[in-house]
Amino acid sequence: MTGKKKCKIVSAVILAFLLVVSTAYAQKPIIIGAPLSTAFLYGWAAERGIKLAVDEINAAGGVKVGDEKRPFKVDVIDTRDLEPGVPVSEALLAVEKLILEKKVNFLIGGPVRSEAALAAMPLLAKNKMISILTTGSLTPKYNETVGKNPDKYKYCFRISGEAKWMVTGEIVPCLEYIGKTFSLDRLMIMVQDVAHARAGGQILAKIMGGKGWKVLGEPMVFPTGTTDFSMGLLDAKKQNAQVIIIWMDMPESAILLKQWYDMKVPALPFGIIISAAEQPEFWKATEGKGEYCLANVVNAGNVPSEATPWTMKFVNAYKKKYGLEPEGYGTSSSYMAVYVLKDAIERAGSLDPDKVVDALKKTDMMGVYGLIKFDPKTNQIVPSLNPKEGAVGTIFQWQAGKRVVVFPQSIATGKILLPPWMKKE
Amino acid sequence: MDIIIYGIINSVSLALMAVGFTLVYGVSRLPNFAHGALYILTGYLTWILMNRVGLNYVFSAIIALGLIGLIGAAMYQLVLIRVRGMPISEIIASYAIGLAILEGLRWGGLKGGTFRLPPFVEGSVTVLGVSVDFQRIFVVILGATLMGALWLFVNNTKLGLALKGMAQDERAALTLGIDSDRMAVTATAIGSMLAGAAAIILLPLGSIAVESGYHVLIMAVAVCIVGGLGSWTGAVLAAFIIGFAQILSVVYFGAHYQAVVALLAIVITLICRPSGLFGRQKELEERV
Repeated sequence: MTGKKKCKIVSAVILAFLLVVSTAYAQKPIIIGAPLSTAFLYGWAAERGIKLAVDEINAAGGVKVGDEKRPFKVDVIDTRDLEPGVPVSEALLAVEKLILEKKVNFLIGGPVRSEAALAAMPLLAKNKMISILTTGSLTPKYNETVGKNPDKYKYCFRISGEAKWMVTGEIVPCLEYIGKTFSLDRLMIMVQDVAHARAGGQILAKIMGGKGWKVLGEPMVFPTGTTDFSMGLLDAKKQNAQVIIIWMDMPESAILLKQWYDMKVPALPFGIIISAAEQPEFWKATEGKGEYCLANVVNAGNVPSEATPWTMKFVNAYKKKYGLEPEGYGTSSSYMAVYVLKDAIERAGSLDPDKVVDALKKTDMMGVYGLIKFDPKTNQIVPSLNPKEGAVGTIFQWQAGKRVVVFPQSIATGKILLPPWMKKE
Repeated sequence: MDIIIYGIINSVSLALMAVGFTLVYGVSRLPNFAHGALYILTGYLTWILMNRVGLNYVFSAIIALGLIGLIGAAMYQLVLIRVRGMPISEIIASYAIGLAILEGLRWGGLKGGTFRLPPFVEGSVTVLGVSVDFQRIFVVILGATLMGALWLFVNNTKLGLALKGMAQDERAALTLGIDSDRMAVTATAIGSMLAGAAAIILLPLGSIAVESGYHVLIMAVAVCIVGGLGSWTGAVLAAFIIGFAQILSVVYFGAHYQAVVALLAIVITLICRPSGLFGRQKELEERV
């Protein structure tokens, strides 16, 4: 073989190699659109959860679609729907932009506000766009709407909790446990003026009233952006409230907790969707004034626990990438949604929405917060108090600067404590 | 008693939010729609100086106030002076600056509820049977002191009298050798510092959040419209009317009505007395 011929063969081999490599790298990415209210915890934590999962999946070779491996790519858009005064139409425009302009293949995340998530459903149905809600929206109307018209809304999934289960399955049992343990039965409810909080407050008042608790008046409704809760807290003090439910996702709920501490209101604060108190930095930001506050973070994994073998693996990976523990509601569910989507695409062997919907409905995976499977009729994740049977939630309490999981018992890492000014002599 | 105590606290808070806005308008006829942004920017600068530079609270607050005064003056000198006398352009330009500041802060990472200024003194006290935290007592004391000092400044110093002269009649002030542009830039700087002072006094009650900037602007505008644009006395009176109305609405109708009160007050004022309680046609000399 002449040197010239050898040279030609080597060049051909190199070219072929380059071609193969470049083809592999040039595999068209599967684009995940993430409509999120990024200025708020439930938005940015979800974004981080999604990106962490995408990085892990891509590093492991990507998603197997038929015979080819394709990477995930994330396209985040700010829906601003958690900001006060921003109309629902803004979030809808953002979703529409992702679908029509950005040509995303799937949606994971929001819209974050319940009203916006509900309003986006017809848009998703019209465009056959699979959406996995992971954060913010808790309204039971979402899965009820899917259940009432499963053919039209079959593309709408929710992998995080919904208000009805959260109240009846987690919060009420937790309140009953508190009542029994500490002999407390006087409840005051303070809610933010948004759909899920108003509805949740009403349901909670009705249920707890039926369980023999004295519910003090109608739930107090505070507008989004309220910065002074003095009158409500004074009322709680006057009426001898023993537990105050705070159902607010606005950051100003931290002000309420600071005022509660400064006034030494003798009632245990129990936050539901209380974004400000969920964050690891909350302790430092309030100089510990939020101690004893209970907070529901919807899914396990948003606070360290040993719910499943994957929980701490996720917590540590998040800490390594972002330098802090998972921050609250929407983090673990957004992370899981990407893995669930990957699993469904691989089983479907295609990106065809109808095939992926069928595969998603058959999801059966042990995830960060328990067994992940969807209700076949409503596409709502199946909840449970046992991680081996379904998606498990988490209620934690701030104790000496740490978020200690106190409910459900199956994953609890500590017990509920009362503030010193509540303890009976 | 709790209505009276918290009514006073809420009213003084509103007066603090509005006094800078009304001062600028009174002197230069400029509705400074960047007012809320300057409020938040002061809080954020103080936070940066404390937490990133490592200065103590007092120095951080003083430097932040100085910087915000300079920013306010620069804002007038570089942008607003070019549109002075064109009300719509003034509103658009100042609102655009405010929007740029607030959204710039958000883009730069001012998100969530974890940016806070510490209260001056921790703890609470019972006043006439009502539990009040020390910071709220400071709000009333410092608010009253600040407004008293402002009144003394306006009525007893050469600069203050010049500002008052400008507010009453710009042409007459010009004939007396008062430089209107210089006075307007001075008023904008002082108005910005007043927004900053309000931030330093009020923000320890809550958190430094972009959304609060919009809220402060709305409240300042509401107070000034009800009181009469540019009237310092009117602003204080309107702050007390709206402040007490908000507290009463929380007690008797529900907390969610408090947001409606300020907007309702604007509507009622515009229908019944379009120039406000102490508006221009009433008494020019009331201004500043």
